[in-house]
Amino acid sequence: MTNLYTTLQKLCACPSVSGREERIREMLREMIAPFCDEVSVDNLGNLIAKKKGAKADGTKIMLCAHMDEIGFLVTFIEKNGLLRVAPIGGIKSVSAAFTEVISERGVAGVLVPNTKTKPEDLSTDKLYIDLGVKDQKSAERKVSVGDFFVLRGGVRRLAGRRICGRPIDDRIGCAVLLSVAERLSRTSLDGDVYYVFSAQEEVGGRGALPAAFAIRPDVSLCVDVTGTGDTPGADAMACSLGEGVAVKIKDSSLICHEEVVFELCRLAEENKIPYQREILLHGGTDASQMQLAGSGSRAGALSIPCRYIHSAVELCELGDAEACVALAEQFVLSIK
Amino acid sequence: MKRYDKDLTLLRELSLLFGPSGCEGEVADTIERALPSLCDSYTRDRMGNLIALIRTGDPEKKQRRKVMISAHMDEVGVMVSELCEDGLLRFDTVGGIDVSVLEGRKITLEGACGKISGVIASKAIHHKERKDRNKPTPMAKLFIDIGARDRAEAEGYVSVGSFGTFDSEFYRFGKDGAFVKGKALDDRMGCAAMISVMSSLMGDRPKADLDLYFCFTVREEIGLSGAKVVAQRIAPELAIVLESTAVADLPDTEDAKRVAELGAGGALSVMDRSTIYDRDFLAFARWIAEEQAIPVQLKKYVSGGNDAGSIHKSGVGVRTLALSVPTRYLHSPACVASVSDYHSVTRLVEAMLRSMTPVLP
Amino acid sequence: MNNSYESLAQEIVALSSVMSVSGYEARGMDEICRLLGKGFDRVETDAVGNCFLWKYCGRDGAPKILVDTHFDEIGMLVREILTDGFVRLVPIGGLSPSVLQAADVILYGKEAIRGVIVSTPPHLRSADENRLPDCEELLVDTGYPKEELEALLPIGSPVGFAPVYRELLSGRLAGKSFDNKACAAIAAHAISSVPKEKLAGDVVLMLSSYEETSRLGGASAGAFSCTPDYAMVIDVNLATVPDVPKVETVPLGGGLSISVSAATDLNLTRAVQALCKARGIAHTMIAAASSTGTNATSIQLVDGGIPTVDIGLPLRNMHTYNEVIDLSDAEALCSLVEAFVCDREIADRFCGREELPR
Repeated sequence: MTNLYTTLQKLCACPSVSGREERIREMLREMIAPFCDEVSVDNLGNLIAKKKGAKADGTKIMLCAHMDEIGFLVTFIEKNGLLRVAPIGGIKSVSAAFTEVISERGVAGVLVPNTKTKPEDLSTDKLYIDLGVKDQKSAERKVSVGDFFVLRGGVRRLAGRRICGRPIDDRIGCAVLLSVAERLSRTSLDGDVYYVFSAQEEVGGRGALPAAFAIRPDVSLCVDVTGTGDTPGADAMACSLGEGVAVKIKDSSLICHEEVVFELCRLAEENKIPYQREILLHGGTDASQMQLAGSGSRAGALSIPCRYIHSAVELCELGDAEACVALAEQFVLSIK
Repeated sequence: MKRYDKDLTLLRELSLLFGPSGCEGEVADTIERALPSLCDSYTRDRMGNLIALIRTGDPEKKQRRKVMISAHMDEVGVMVSELCEDGLLRFDTVGGIDVSVLEGRKITLEGACGKISGVIASKAIHHKERKDRNKPTPMAKLFIDIGARDRAEAEGYVSVGSFGTFDSEFYRFGKDGAFVKGKALDDRMGCAAMISVMSSLMGDRPKADLDLYFCFTVREEIGLSGAKVVAQRIAPELAIVLESTAVADLPDTEDAKRVAELGAGGALSVMDRSTIYDRDFLAFARWIAEEQAIPVQLKKYVSGGNDAGSIHKSGVGVRTLALSVPTRYLHSPACVASVSDYHSVTRLVEAMLRSMTPVLP
Repeated sequence: MNNSYESLAQEIVALSSVMSVSGYEARGMDEICRLLGKGFDRVETDAVGNCFLWKYCGRDGAPKILVDTHFDEIGMLVREILTDGFVRLVPIGGLSPSVLQAADVILYGKEAIRGVIVSTPPHLRSADENRLPDCEELLVDTGYPKEELEALLPIGSPVGFAPVYRELLSGRLAGKSFDNKACAAIAAHAISSVPKEKLAGDVVLMLSSYEETSRLGGASAGAFSCTPDYAMVIDVNLATVPDVPKVETVPLGGGLSISVSAATDLNLTRAVQALCKARGIAHTMIAAASSTGTNATSIQLVDGGIPTVDIGLPLRNMHTYNEVIDLSDAEALCSLVEAFVCDREIADRFCGREELPR
């Protein structure tokens, strides 16, 4: 079995902003192909891997993790060579300021705020990318308007089984899907299983919707990160790092199917998989898109608790991700 | 070089039509009358969208590429919400109109006896407190005056739910008539460009095996796009959305916020609030423009949204491109655009469709 | 109370009493079948929690008419179990903190238990403009020890207002979640009472899910699977209160409301208005310029487009446990639904759709 952390390291080293997921997609395509019967890419760039079921009328299940990450679009190049940018996805300007960034073509730079701005007034139109060039001309040799940047990726180990870096949101979900696919690759299941690595989640689930429309799953399960209530200033939330996989009940984009929630909790208890029940106040996932696409599906979601989401130091615990793999596997096996 | 709609007869006619979102019948009727000679076949669907098909290449070939080209027929407008005792009308906006361009305007309202004129009543400056003179009057204090002496008289002409639009002249201005001013240039310029392209394609059809669906859609301005319904039915692989985009190329604007420049060609979007555009399709458009020396520019700011937002997510997903005529004072009775940009957009659309092959660009 | 109102009133109260907080609509399914099932030919549910009640006209190739009334209600979920019997909540749908202080609720865990939402006494409130806590900060007092509560109330258990109803003067009713189960009960009553030969087509009453929480609502998926020719969406509408401009409300007791909107079908709207006039059904026309804020906006855009009309039942105190409706409005709505599902002229006009050009 492939090691989850090794996979994650590989995935996090690959920059891939929403709408420009080519690189990560190619990487994932190679990794998922051995465990599936068909792999395809749709018009919006979703990677869809299908494991055929034994029965034509078996229950169809769609597992989904998003492969894109938040980032920036270059909108303008100033005379002094600084780049003006627009955010892609839910960037928190305060946590993005003073970090290293890298373009899709590999150009390095740093993201800096207008230093006169107070932290509470910081917004993306007060952020610049400094490439270290002296003027507009030299900037234009490296970058054009319309290019994309992301915060520099990569993960490291901290104490125990905790790791830190980015974009753990949601490469860890991708790693979980790969792991589940590997474990189930030799098992014959009744229904088709689709592993979808979705595009453009960070801008509002724009990829998962058409993917779910094409697949028309009976049951859908999203794997993504969730916030925790165990850091200073966090919203009160009964969800902590290291307490196991989180079974989503609600976030701001959906309320999960009651039976799916019930079934996930039952399976976790039966198989002694550590889990917690999650209600997230602010934030949404692809699950909402899968729930309502076409004539709808029974939608649920598993989350990996993660601190400091969308910053350069996203922090989570590998044990929770392993619990997520185990529970997702049991869930797929339990579908009749 | 081909000259489309050279003297702007077409654009003028379309601009002056009455067509607020949800009430596009007059625009659709006018365009529909022209369609028989502009396409192979067409349909008006239940929502009021017009869908016209031009099939090119070998009609027997099964392997064809479906392309949707769309522009919306509707414009921002107003709706009567209450008939007051004194004959004045309360109203609400249909689509996003900045309240600052309403006060004092002429309005056309449609009612039981056809169209009537009205003005948006304003308190004279003499009655305004000094501190309020530079502020737009809030919606709650604006009324439409149709000249009725009381409610009973008003009821003979309009009712709650009557639609209205700006009543505004269409004219060219500037040196050599380089600019055009009118209401509803958003998106009648797109509609006019499509009509010109269709006419040109019918005269000299491309060789490739393509199904080109030219769609004149409804209700873009209220964000509930008819284009979504059309895209769901056609399920195209590619879509080109022809639009107007708001620009601020004004003297005191910071360079980074001008969005685009009038006269520098159509604006291609990389990203706006509703869509991240397809990379390859965008590259294809820029390549064709360069190849054929058609002016084009990239939108240099992330703002706005259009039908692409619902088209690209429709069905199993659609690879989408947005090409816009840069327009000043969008959603006002006096939109201003450059005639050369309008023509550049038209040329680029035709050039792209002529260069399309049955395989991916 | 007037006799003709009585059975309708009872049906409204019975259906509104069902707990159906968004996401938990399925828990009320047995009760729905018991209350409404016999008036219909088939009852089915889907993956999103929509319930479809079909009544067939018995003719082949007949038009399909959709009547949508959302069935979910606002409420809360259990978010965290605290000490001393207190429970933290998360609101479902748009709840106003100002009506939640010291409100009666029922927590639907492994069994239903009673609770009271806490209210901070005035002398402990901060001087900060007399500000009330946000819904996310509110607690319920349950009176159980923590350990027992943890066993009894899994996180995510729904919490609803207590179903206590009162009759007011002039045939008005007060109680919880007439939004939108009063409309569901009225529509069911109307459709059930029509002999099937009179129906203009096959009628499906969709009790839709997630209206209060999702922009699209479960109705979008539901309409996609039942593919109607045209639709009527019925939801409650804000009734007149003194301190809100008249133009934003509809009069209570003035009959149903018909929205004119850029977001719905103008022709169908006018046809329904004409129907009301012809039958002498009391109604108010309202302008909902760019959006109706109801399921009409999403149903309209499903698949190849579904012509939709938006109808409202006036209601006061929306999203509280004492919503007020007027039974004369309910009667008017009942008459309209009956007339609508029987109207062959509308059926002929709005049935079927044009082929795409070929």
